[in-house]
Amino acid sequence: MPEMLPKYVKLGYQYLVDHILTFLFIPIMAAVSIQILKLGPEEILTIWNSLHFDFVQILCSSFLVTLIATVYFMSKPRSIYLVDYACYKPPITSRVPFWTFMEHSRLILKDNPKSVEFQMRILERSGLGEETSLPPAIHYIPPNPTMEAARGEAEAVIFSAIDTLMQKTSIEPKDIDILIVNCSLFSPTPSLSAMVVNKYKLRSNIKSFNLSGMGCSAGLISIDLARDLLQVHPNSNALVVSTEIITPNYYQGSERAMLLPNCLFRMGGAAILLSNKRGDRNRAKYKLVHVVRTHKGADDKAYKCVYEQEDPQGKVGINLSKDLMIIAGEALKSNITTIGPLVLPASEQLLFLFILIGRKIFNPKWKPYIPDFKQAFEHFCIHSGGRAVIDELQKNLQLSAEHVEASRMTLHRFGNTSSSSLWYELSYIEAKGRMKKGDRIWQIAFGSGFKCNSAVWKCNRRINTPNIGPWQDCIDRYPVHIPEIVKL
Amino acid sequence: MVSSMAEGLIYDIKLSSVGPGTVTEPDMVHEPSDMDLAMKLHYLKVIYYFGKQAFEGLTTLKIKEPLFMVLNYFPVICGRFRRAESGRPYIKCNDCGVRFIEAKCEKTMDEWLEMTKENASLEKYLTPNQIIGPELGFSPTVLLQFTKFKCGGMSMGLSWAHVLGDAFSAAEFLNLLGKVVAGEKPNRPINLAHLKTNSTNPESPLTNTEDPLSVKRVGPVGDIWIPVNNCKMEAFSFSVNATQLSHLQSKISNNGTDFSPFEALSAVIWQCIGKIRPESEPKVVTICKMMEQNRADGNNLLISVVKAAYPIVEANPSELAALMKNAAIDKIEKIENAIEKDNGVSDFIVYGGNLTFANLEEAKFYEIDYRGEKPIYVSYRVDGVGDEGAVLVLPGPPKNGGRTVMAILPENEATELKSELKKWFMD
Repeated sequence: MPEMLPKYVKLGYQYLVDHILTFLFIPIMAAVSIQILKLGPEEILTIWNSLHFDFVQILCSSFLVTLIATVYFMSKPRSIYLVDYACYKPPITSRVPFWTFMEHSRLILKDNPKSVEFQMRILERSGLGEETSLPPAIHYIPPNPTMEAARGEAEAVIFSAIDTLMQKTSIEPKDIDILIVNCSLFSPTPSLSAMVVNKYKLRSNIKSFNLSGMGCSAGLISIDLARDLLQVHPNSNALVVSTEIITPNYYQGSERAMLLPNCLFRMGGAAILLSNKRGDRNRAKYKLVHVVRTHKGADDKAYKCVYEQEDPQGKVGINLSKDLMIIAGEALKSNITTIGPLVLPASEQLLFLFILIGRKIFNPKWKPYIPDFKQAFEHFCIHSGGRAVIDELQKNLQLSAEHVEASRMTLHRFGNTSSSSLWYELSYIEAKGRMKKGDRIWQIAFGSGFKCNSAVWKCNRRINTPNIGPWQDCIDRYPVHIPEIVKL
Repeated sequence: MVSSMAEGLIYDIKLSSVGPGTVTEPDMVHEPSDMDLAMKLHYLKVIYYFGKQAFEGLTTLKIKEPLFMVLNYFPVICGRFRRAESGRPYIKCNDCGVRFIEAKCEKTMDEWLEMTKENASLEKYLTPNQIIGPELGFSPTVLLQFTKFKCGGMSMGLSWAHVLGDAFSAAEFLNLLGKVVAGEKPNRPINLAHLKTNSTNPESPLTNTEDPLSVKRVGPVGDIWIPVNNCKMEAFSFSVNATQLSHLQSKISNNGTDFSPFEALSAVIWQCIGKIRPESEPKVVTICKMMEQNRADGNNLLISVVKAAYPIVEANPSELAALMKNAAIDKIEKIENAIEKDNGVSDFIVYGGNLTFANLEEAKFYEIDYRGEKPIYVSYRVDGVGDEGAVLVLPGPPKNGGRTVMAILPENEATELKSELKKWFMD
């Protein structure tokens, strides 16, 4: 009983503060109604007649009301809808079981057994499964990353995702108004967006953008850019393609800090269709509510924590610094500080404010209050950058295992697919049948820079368990238990 | 890996791996039987020569795809060896896969087949030559090499560790590949491995019996699974067409006893080898035959040993053939006891422990068809043969109906044997 008391107190407090306006409104309305009833019908009629309504006055008032309403509706930002999205499903020929990865590593790094040992330790604890995929060029001993192979991978991933998306949304290529492609590490000339325009014969007045170098959080940056463009262009839609091309970026050296991405990054991609058209309002799956971007690049440590450089032998790779998790934690805090007021219910915000003031004025020893984001969202899509990232966020946001299940299972089945991982996670939630109309989703991505970007979506309609998708043949096997250390 | 190229004959070599398309359940293992472990130092090498049409227009990925599918049915060959605490090797089915090698040859297939008629050891450039070891866990047991010839023909070279199975198993694997390419579904259960049980050492009464003659104990090779030879072994092959074969059989047959092609050929070769090894006559030979029916997974060999009581040189080939025909098959328990003495840790050889004659007449090598094309020619040999040598009697190309004989002998014996054999096949 005593333990229950604080819980009910908290519940009661939340209910009260969240619905404070209702709670204030009801007594006032009640008081007014009682007053009116006291007066009686004849009195009401007298008061009504005494309000000399002039024709001109009525006209001007209604004109004013209409004007204000028009200004309000015009200046309201357009609603952006996510019509549908599609994720790339790699073929079985790209599959990389753990031991194949280790054996190839052993053959390639035959002079560096310590580096091979290191990779084995990483794989054991990585949270990846035995079905992740690497592109065909990387399956060779040693890998064979030609430009042609990289283009081949880009075409396979991007075209497959877009084909599936077109099949799901029945959109014609000529109807696409805006095209944004983001791929951090592969930036050929002509660009990947030009490649898409060429393949699908998109219109000559298309607004195309190609974002490169922006890391794993670039997916949400593309969504943000699409949103801004869709504010300016009425009655349009935007095709956003998020991917990471592995072929040219496989590290061929033996420095340990730079071998880490080889163990985690895998093939993947997603295509998303956004729209501000009135006609798409009913068929769209999600509505975009907020996008919050936080950039910590001004801090030197944050800037250098994911850094592409040459190793002492001249081989290029991405160096991950040891402070990565700390910097990620700080970036997350910044992001939460901005997004909190936008999404948290009043009760949580008040509590947070109260404790903040308390810490400043009364007692600095009070533990900082972490707002309960579970009240603001039903689903969480945390970028599956690695097991450590998901563990850290689960701890920081006090999420349950089920909340981070989508992230963990995506990491297990597909590995770290960089900017597209958020879409595989969303696909998981849908495939499990957990997405209901009105559910709110929080997508969080981290990336080099160091950036932390969030997007908030609201489910717009009832979503039936999809019959085509990357999880269709394996969803019944999930969730799996992922051991702390896999016995290789 | 593939040995260094002879004068740039084979070039543009690329290595990758192909594993099963679907995930094998974790902790699946396969424990080789005693017979399997007796064969672990031997490797089967099969080369299928296909004409241009079989692989025309296929990219590497298209060649690999059916392999991914067929390997779903062979989780054992995709695994890697480990040693249990007792030291006994077992296979962990971890989906690592088979090694896939692509290569090109600067000759046309006809030129190549001409060259190998003279010098069969050139064929070692068409099969991968990696042995198991020194790191068991990182050594593939099955390797496939696809070599494209100048004329467009393709050779498919398979290296199959004998510990996995005999020639029939290897042929079954490749035949199934052909079926999958044709779009059929293999008629084979998907998972023949099992979950590892807590090593149950069967309480077999290890009586201190002597090793059987058929299985020869060799010095510990540790984790490098190839016998140590005192001399370099060389392979050479010759074909016997149907007419020559029946001629030979009638020459040898005695008092109405008919001898099979295997017995006839083996007897003749036995005597010829006896002639070229005057100081160390092969009085004892091992005979190897594969079981065709009721096969279990792995090696299903019927091994027998034949002892000649008199000098081979003076013997009549008919007598030798009769000896072979009536050879008693070694009881499998005798062989198993020898292996079990120290729980499968010791190293043995079967081929080459004594002069060995292997009857592979019924092997289904020519049954394969790849996209409707049959192989022009199939070459088969065993690597890792001991010093006494081995003679393999194989089916000939179906058109000729005869036999192909592959002899693996110490290198100086090859020429002498050729001249001895000419005497038999000249007329």
